Amino acid sequence: MSLAEQNAADVDRQCMDVDIACVGFGPAMGGFLTTLARGLMNEDGTPAVESATMPGMPPQVICYERADDIGFGVSGVVTRARALRETFPDLNPEEIPLCHPVTEEQLLYLLDPIGASRRPLTVRLADGAIKALKWALPYSDHALRIPFIPGFMEKHDGLLLSLGQFNQWVGNQLMASGTVQVWPSSPVSEPLFEEKKVVGVRLADQGVDKTGAPDAGFMPGMDIKAALTVIGDGPVGPVGRRIDDEIGMPEGNHQHDWAVGMKVVVDLPEGCELKPGTVLHTLGFPEPEIFGFLYVYPGNVAAAGIFVPSWFDNPVRSTYRYMQHWLQHPALWKHLEGATLRSWGAKTIQESGRRGEPHLAGDGFARIGEGSGSTNVLTNSGVDEAWKTGTLLAEGVLELLKDGKPFTKENLEAAYVARRRESWVEQEGRVAEKARDGFQHGFVRGMIGMALAGFTKGHMALGGDGRSPYQRVPTIEEYAKGKLSAEEIETLRKEAHAKGQTLHDAIMDRLGWPAIEYDGKLIVSHQDALLLGGKVQAQPGYADHVVFVYPHLCEECGTKLCAEVCSGQAITVNPEGGVPLFDREKCVHCGACMWNCGSVSPESTERGGIEFRAGAGGLHSAEN
Amino acid sequence: MTGGFQIVVCGGIVPNPLQTLEPITGPSGPALKNEAMLPAVLDPWAWHALFEAANLAKQNPGSKVWLVALAPKAKLQQVVMTIAQKVPFELIAIDGPASGFAESADVAEELAAAIEAIPGLDKSKLLVFGGWESASRGAGTTMQMVGEKLGIVDQFQGVDELKAAPDGSFEVLERIEGGRHQVSTCAGAPALLGWATGNLPEPPNNPQVGMANMRGVMPALQKAKPAKAGANGATYASVALPQQRRATRIVKDTPVEEIAREIAAWIKG
Amino acid sequence: MSKVLVIAFAEQDGSLGKAALEALAAAKQLGGEFCAGVIGEKIDAAADMLAGAGAAKVFGVAGSDFAQPRYASDAAAAEAIAKAAGAEIIVAAGTSRWSRVAAGVAHRLGGQIDTHVTGLAVENDAPVVTRWYYRQRMMAQMTRAARPWVISVDPGSFAAWQGAPGSASIEAVDVTLGDAAKRTQVTGVRTPSSGQQTIRPEADVLFVAGAGWTKKQPDGQFHVAEAEKLILDFVDNAKASLGSSKSLVDQKGEGQAVLTCLSHLNQVGQTGSTPRHPKGLATCCHGEEPHVVGWRFITERRAINLDANCGWAQGKADVLYVADSFAVMEKVNALLAE
Repeated sequence: MSLAEQNAADVDRQCMDVDIACVGFGPAMGGFLTTLARGLMNEDGTPAVESATMPGMPPQVICYERADDIGFGVSGVVTRARALRETFPDLNPEEIPLCHPVTEEQLLYLLDPIGASRRPLTVRLADGAIKALKWALPYSDHALRIPFIPGFMEKHDGLLLSLGQFNQWVGNQLMASGTVQVWPSSPVSEPLFEEKKVVGVRLADQGVDKTGAPDAGFMPGMDIKAALTVIGDGPVGPVGRRIDDEIGMPEGNHQHDWAVGMKVVVDLPEGCELKPGTVLHTLGFPEPEIFGFLYVYPGNVAAAGIFVPSWFDNPVRSTYRYMQHWLQHPALWKHLEGATLRSWGAKTIQESGRRGEPHLAGDGFARIGEGSGSTNVLTNSGVDEAWKTGTLLAEGVLELLKDGKPFTKENLEAAYVARRRESWVEQEGRVAEKARDGFQHGFVRGMIGMALAGFTKGHMALGGDGRSPYQRVPTIEEYAKGKLSAEEIETLRKEAHAKGQTLHDAIMDRLGWPAIEYDGKLIVSHQDALLLGGKVQAQPGYADHVVFVYPHLCEECGTKLCAEVCSGQAITVNPEGGVPLFDREKCVHCGACMWNCGSVSPESTERGGIEFRAGAGGLHSAEN
Repeated sequence: MTGGFQIVVCGGIVPNPLQTLEPITGPSGPALKNEAMLPAVLDPWAWHALFEAANLAKQNPGSKVWLVALAPKAKLQQVVMTIAQKVPFELIAIDGPASGFAESADVAEELAAAIEAIPGLDKSKLLVFGGWESASRGAGTTMQMVGEKLGIVDQFQGVDELKAAPDGSFEVLERIEGGRHQVSTCAGAPALLGWATGNLPEPPNNPQVGMANMRGVMPALQKAKPAKAGANGATYASVALPQQRRATRIVKDTPVEEIAREIAAWIKG
Repeated sequence: MSKVLVIAFAEQDGSLGKAALEALAAAKQLGGEFCAGVIGEKIDAAADMLAGAGAAKVFGVAGSDFAQPRYASDAAAAEAIAKAAGAEIIVAAGTSRWSRVAAGVAHRLGGQIDTHVTGLAVENDAPVVTRWYYRQRMMAQMTRAARPWVISVDPGSFAAWQGAPGSASIEAVDVTLGDAAKRTQVTGVRTPSSGQQTIRPEADVLFVAGAGWTKKQPDGQFHVAEAEKLILDFVDNAKASLGSSKSLVDQKGEGQAVLTCLSHLNQVGQTGSTPRHPKGLATCCHGEEPHVVGWRFITERRAINLDANCGWAQGKADVLYVADSFAVMEKVNALLAE
């Protein structure tokens, strides 16, 4: 325990009792709270059940969200919206800004117009065949329009949403109900345990310095005691991860597959032909492993971005640089040239899906949403599933409250986990769970694996190797073998690190990627994207939430992948060597550093050398 | 002060400062494009005024703080959730536009009426606080008119400090030209203070304060009266983003000495 | 054209300050006849200036009760002058003294008000004002039909009137203050404790210190004390005014080394001031352009930054020097000290 942690442990903490404490306001919590709020009050305005902490009142339900507003720091989505429509049968997309029914869906295979993409032989052969037959194919602008979209991927009856705007819409209705409270700017640092039972949560300390030591205005994070703690803090949330550390994962489950998604929201150029409701999915470029999306909102606005997965074995994988190349692919640039950046953001996606499911419930706690393994990795859908898990938990909780039963593991399993097992989230998650395994062995096998799983409804799939990211990541020397000599790489490394810079630009430049020409509107520097797009800010008075736990591992680390991949350039290489530097004011809380650590913790093979703790601040755009 | 102060803080909401703003012409005059989508915050100077009010109330037992806010109800509700954990206050909500193009006289009328309607208001204890300007209209005119309507002639603007004496009198520091402060003493309430940033840091979030505030927040929002503030009175010929874009000359790979010489010559010239 | 009145406060020596002369010039821009009103302990010299500028009548409120800037006395005096003059358009400089009372005066007169006016024109025989909204994010041109209309012009926006004083015959306006108007007493002026003057509204140059000064430098170390010396030396040598972004003046709570010469009074843009200077030099401000919107009012703008692609290069500065500010400013200071 560090000195700062010891100090913090010794302080006198205030404590508050509530009935249900919730962590993280995302779509899962939206589903949970909306369903719960409707069931807590009778039609005549009297409480349907009574609070144990405030007798005579309805149960006190408090949700703590780490971001500075309920609509910050989330992502644009295309969703079939089945669960959303169950909750809101009269949902009118026009009431929600940046919401539109899907009107057209296209799948584009992007060829490499530059010649820098790292394409395996099979892909190159396919590219050659497409080019040779392009006169007979739906081919233009270096892209092949795949003539059909597999049924399992289709979202044609769905909605396009900005999750930020959707969360605001949901949150406002919830708060107006007066039944539940949602508090932004309130990072939760950890669950409170009594043996294996969760008895509430501890909020992050305020008025502390970078290391967590008390400083001006010190206020120890309050302990919020609750009979039930609902955890919906997402794939990289510290509360969910702490519970996994404490009680482990179910036999056979693991979270080894991840992706970082980065996107821009743009004002499309005047005269752009894209119609609201259009969805473009892309694959093939800038690297075969990188998938892309473009969603067209009403008002000539679009969201566009890419996913960089953990099985893209590149130790200098900078999502931002790759996104800039992707945006400028001719098939997209013909729509985007002249567009202006409105918003920007990034988040981690838990790509293990159902296989990454942790223990869904235990004594005093239940888990919902992406962190609970609900994302469907075959259909690329997470929001609808997350919402559904929230509604299922709410139904179970209402049942237990009305029956006067305590929130024990047994009762929660009967009331919630059983509901979940019977739901479409579980059934479709099972179909999908092996769909990505093929990618462990490369892009082509990945595509075959997905198709197999999709078309056979999960009965057949290609086996994966289940390795963690740290086991997969090659050295830069291995990655650039045959193109750059070890000496050359060492020179570049020394030059870059002496200036505190990362290596990806130097390496990508040498591997044939053209330098990025900024247009000052959409193609802007990473820092401008952060400030003008993400509006990234952080309040003073919180500790650094990215912590390099084992300095000796950082010292030995040759790739510094955490800095290379950092979505906000918040982690930089220390020119003096050793532990990288972290600038809290630039962090967008995507959590990519956590799973991109190239080292393994001496304490657990499931953890790297970086702890991603609870922190305030980050994105301040509500359009993502 | 015996019995404490009754401190009423007037504060509207404005777009979160880093948002990209664009004007449009709406049915009732100029407006912000996508105003409903923009995340909002409590007007920054009113925010400081609220901290100062809470601090003064804490130092003077028996004091009470109200926050009178005119804003669209749904947005106000969201903003209140980001401030209600900071300091104790009772909310008085008025449902109306947060637009910078709403006339300050209209806003002042609504705020003054809401203050007059506070049950048990004792003007001999009344301190009306607010920001010296808003970050939307940026005129610095609303608070004076609120004061006039309430009959308060001890008014201060650009306030950075208020020190109350045990007899209820107080000393005020107001910003004046040249980075200096004008120092005044006032015999006591009633008075009106338009705050600049003050000297207090932002208080930490306190969940217990939040829970206590929430008991009044939702009823206040439900009771919020609609306001009539608009852009009547002004005729706008144009509202536009500044279009000046400069052709930046980028000087790089140039010796420091040469750059310094060029800058020094420019400064002197 | 409506009846125009210029209201000014006399300085302690009885003269008119630069801001008042700017407002005078702005009012003259409206064309036609105008009257003037002056308030202060001694007002003769100021009244002569106003007469020299062509005021048809000069109304005055004088005496020791009106020496100090105070709401109750200033508002009563301005109200009485406006009523005596039957003013329809009232123009005054947006100094701290006038800004304290302007809206109250407009309210008492049953009129309307616009402040922070940076441009004034006449169209269809009525004033059209230019002013900014949303902290300098957007600029509006507007007019009003209602009278009286109070127009406060921002100091630094108009060229000051220059001319010889005339000889005024002051029409004294009687304003008697009751005890209720004297509950507030101005006791003095306090300068910031840091000692050195860093805010000079009249300066030719605004030096904007960015957050980069307090960050780790290429050698991996903090050099905050050195940064502070370089900045203060420059401000001293160039007789410049010092501005900064919110992030830098807010750092006090973070427990790290901070620039002690900066306070909230130095903050430019956002929740800070919007000073106007002929030249501006921004240093180490990477990525802070959106925070420093007050920069919009600087005529000639240059920046020093390590990144050629930073926001300042995107049409915000005339010249961007890609260099280490520490090294450049050391040399600049040496050259300026010569």
